[in-house]
Amino acid sequence: MAGIGESGGAVAVEARRPRLAARDAARPRRGRGARRGDGRVAWIFLGPALIGFALFYLYPTVRGAYFSFTDYDLLSPPHSVGAANYRELWHDPLYWNALRVTLQYVVINIVSQTLLALGLAWLMFRLTRSIVVRVLLLVPWLVPNVAVGLLWLWLLDANLGLVNHLITAVGGTSQGFFSTPSLAMPTIAMINTWQYTGYTALLFYAGMLQIPASLYESARLDGAGEVRTFFRITLPLMRPILALVLVVSMIGSFQIFDTISITPTHGGPVNATRAVYYYIYQLAFTQFRMGYACAVAMTLAVILGVLTFVQMRLLRASSSDLA
Amino acid sequence: MRRNRTRLALALIALATPIAASGCASSGSGSSGPVTLTYALWDQTQEPGYQACADAFTAQNPDIKIKITQAAWGNYWQNLTTEMTAGDAPDVFTDHVAYYPQFVADHQILDISGDVSSAGIDLSAYQSGLADLWVDDGKRYGLPKDWDTEGLVYNTKSLRAAGVDPASLANLTWNPTDGGTFEKLIAELTVDDNGNNGLSPKFDKNHVKVYGFVPTYDDGSTGQNGWGDLAAENGFTFLSKPFSTDYDYGSAALAQTITWFASLSAKGYAPAYSKNSSLGVQTVLDSGQGAMTITGSFDVSSYTGSTAKQSYGFAELPVGPDGRKTFINDLSDAIWAGTSHPQQAWKWVQFLASSGCQDLVAAKGVIFPALTEATKKAEAARTAEGQNIAPFVEEAQAAGGTVTYPISSHESEISTEVQSQLDAVWLGQSGAASALKTAQTAVSGYMSQP
Amino acid sequence: MRLPTRRSIAWLVLVIAIILTLFPFYWMIRTAFTPAADLPTDTTGLWPHHATLINFERVLGLTSTAQNVAAGGSGATLDFLLSLRNSIIYAGLIAVAQTFFCAMAGYAFARLRFRGRDLLFGVFVMALMVPPIFTLLPNFALVKSLGWIGSFEGLIAPSVLMTPFAVFFLRQFFLSIPAEVEEAAALDGAGRLTQFWRVVLPMSRGPLFTIGLITAVWAWKDYLWPLLVGPDQNTRVLTAALGIFLEQSPNQAPDWTGLMAAAVLAVIPVALLLVVFGRRLVESLNFTGIK
Repeated sequence: MAGIGESGGAVAVEARRPRLAARDAARPRRGRGARRGDGRVAWIFLGPALIGFALFYLYPTVRGAYFSFTDYDLLSPPHSVGAANYRELWHDPLYWNALRVTLQYVVINIVSQTLLALGLAWLMFRLTRSIVVRVLLLVPWLVPNVAVGLLWLWLLDANLGLVNHLITAVGGTSQGFFSTPSLAMPTIAMINTWQYTGYTALLFYAGMLQIPASLYESARLDGAGEVRTFFRITLPLMRPILALVLVVSMIGSFQIFDTISITPTHGGPVNATRAVYYYIYQLAFTQFRMGYACAVAMTLAVILGVLTFVQMRLLRASSSDLA
Repeated sequence: MRRNRTRLALALIALATPIAASGCASSGSGSSGPVTLTYALWDQTQEPGYQACADAFTAQNPDIKIKITQAAWGNYWQNLTTEMTAGDAPDVFTDHVAYYPQFVADHQILDISGDVSSAGIDLSAYQSGLADLWVDDGKRYGLPKDWDTEGLVYNTKSLRAAGVDPASLANLTWNPTDGGTFEKLIAELTVDDNGNNGLSPKFDKNHVKVYGFVPTYDDGSTGQNGWGDLAAENGFTFLSKPFSTDYDYGSAALAQTITWFASLSAKGYAPAYSKNSSLGVQTVLDSGQGAMTITGSFDVSSYTGSTAKQSYGFAELPVGPDGRKTFINDLSDAIWAGTSHPQQAWKWVQFLASSGCQDLVAAKGVIFPALTEATKKAEAARTAEGQNIAPFVEEAQAAGGTVTYPISSHESEISTEVQSQLDAVWLGQSGAASALKTAQTAVSGYMSQP
Repeated sequence: MRLPTRRSIAWLVLVIAIILTLFPFYWMIRTAFTPAADLPTDTTGLWPHHATLINFERVLGLTSTAQNVAAGGSGATLDFLLSLRNSIIYAGLIAVAQTFFCAMAGYAFARLRFRGRDLLFGVFVMALMVPPIFTLLPNFALVKSLGWIGSFEGLIAPSVLMTPFAVFFLRQFFLSIPAEVEEAAALDGAGRLTQFWRVVLPMSRGPLFTIGLITAVWAWKDYLWPLLVGPDQNTRVLTAALGIFLEQSPNQAPDWTGLMAAAVLAVIPVALLLVVFGRRLVESLNFTGIK
């Protein structure tokens, strides 16, 4: 990948050197230190990204914050209502319910996904460098969430699904995975774990590849077993990767929407799957309450910001021990 | 370097121009020339009827084409509101009595009272009581489209096997305390794996082969397909009149009904809520696992059509403490306020509400169009197809036998709230009285908002 | 770790993991070939008793409405080829354009010197923490007021120019390559743009490809935004088409066989992508590991 380009560039540079030397000899060198500021050319480089940032990140954030203080419904001009939306959400049982079930989802999803991915990565690292295995594990990640959700909706169907058939075949009672409040959110969490574990495992695997083989050599010479090697060497040296993956997964996890939107209960049963993102969508697009939805979204942004900050701190505190 | 910069700048401008140009061009299309209206409905069994209407309409109005879109009931309203938010809703859509007040409050549908009076439409040609449902504050938001009532549908084989005479179904009684002869019938039709029915002392409610009654659990805040009708028979009223705010979900009459309804699965006569996840009620009946349910007249054709797998009969609802009551529902066609072709949309709506279309729909034998003449034609067509719709028609004609949908704003929030609370009752997590009281608190909250 | 038993147990676990990963897809295919009427009865067994192509036919719109309904559908069809085309356009445009623009920005933050550079970069990074839902609603309002609802411009607008992650990632990468090559080019009289275009970019094929691929996959899977902004046929992407197809279920029950057929169709492009690009995709993920 990087190899070919690099050597090509290097060759070109080599070819130019003699010419350079000759030229330098011919005329006084302009002080290399006196570099002009790159201000003007920076505009060109940054232009598109700046426009994108301003228009689609900065402006919406500001506008969203503004909407959260209004009664905007996307159909008529907004009117300011002060902090009424925030007061309302403080007392809104559906809001707290949304936070609670989202948290439940995030914990189940992230914990199971991370543990399984670590295990899988370790297995791959120790057993095989086969591309085929890695490609196969990546398949669920590439499939759109809607298709994955549909597939599991079918597999877990209470009447016709394969899983319930297997359960009843071994003597259990068939479960309403999506219609039982205590099962609904964990089911959705595990579906997402199924979808993302392979991808996460590949990321961890890449992190494991960076650990110098010499460390493993010395560990083996010292007689360390699999488990000890993993916990004493691999895991600590993977901390930056681990932290980064955790942060990104967690942020993504909080935004669970696609899978919930195709379940037939639309946030039920008894609000068990009405996660924050879905609640915001319903407020905005089925009840036309854009202002209130923006207020809820603001609180979500703040929560995520805090969580990210905390985790980034942990990330910095555990900068790579490899260096 | 300057050359590079210029080149880059030109490239960026070139990139931006088509975007800007097409952005300008895409807004504002002229309304002259051929027009295509989008028309939305939810019942795919009705689609052929309306396609026939669309073809007839375009034959008379060659400049206007109709494109019909369908989304299933479970998604229809969310779809619609999302499209309205996006500014991309269908020009005309099938509207429902319970949902239209919110559209009025949000200024999403057009007032057609002016068009109706200048077209001289005779409102008395429609089934009585329907036309007034669409008037709010002197403005009219729709013309009656079709009506439906609720009744019992049963598996004829199960009934025979239980030794019940079909004629006796006309005299069923019901009350929330012991379920009356209705519950007795349900118990007789419930059969466990060993062949014992629900009345037998040996009945094993954990191994039921055929359920006597398959309830509709996710029935929104009105329970049109089950508990709502029974509650009305128990003396419960949703609202005193359209657009009032005096919901009383905490009422004892409703709580008793819900308790009885939920008790059916506890007794083993009905499947539990958590098992009802994906299959519709009819599929359960079709697979032979259920013997009877309450259904709307709009579904009769699917029970008697070629896709049905069992043989079914129909009867009127049982008589409750307050008599026999059924919801009479009405639909209309609404014009979206954001349509770019309001005149053409009105022409289509007018056609839909006229005998030109309603007769075509009647001939398909799926529903009862609102014009009384068309209703008669539909009855004839449906009877000719072997649909026994007499019970539904008699219920509609019985004096005081019909109840209209409660009409108020905030329908979608109320529906979500009541459904959630009822979910808890169906799951056995909460008693009916306390769940309904919680629901009522929330509903009062919504009603106090504009 | 040469003990055969432990190794074979480990292999067993890995194989089980692969089976768990792939079996659901197999079941999806199996269901897609099952006639709808057989569903309640033909529930187990690795292949349906009466395998049929009818589900695919009706999902692709190759049957009449009557046949469609008779086979268990609702008359709805999935315009597969059109949605596929739209998805490819959507993902392709965003991947190419965004990678390019973010590379420029990342390079600027890594190499160029100008006042407020680090502050600006810090602000960009903060945008990383803004959850998409928060920008979704106002972006939707903005695109709507620009009249871009239902057009590709509206679809790609928020993502085509940048995402904070791509800028961050590419800046980290550019920081990590030695500056000598560019400095040599600078001595040669090459301006910043030339350095970037002629020297740095060719060297960065790997990470650029990585970011491009990840962006493409993300755009491919995007559901809510394309559903909101482009529900019309011309701009409907595959994920949205699948969602809409799901909504058009018949009255009585979900059209499972039709849905599975539609899902199989939606997965086929992914499978093809893996066969062609699988190795590169997997290896490019190795690169994201390096920070």
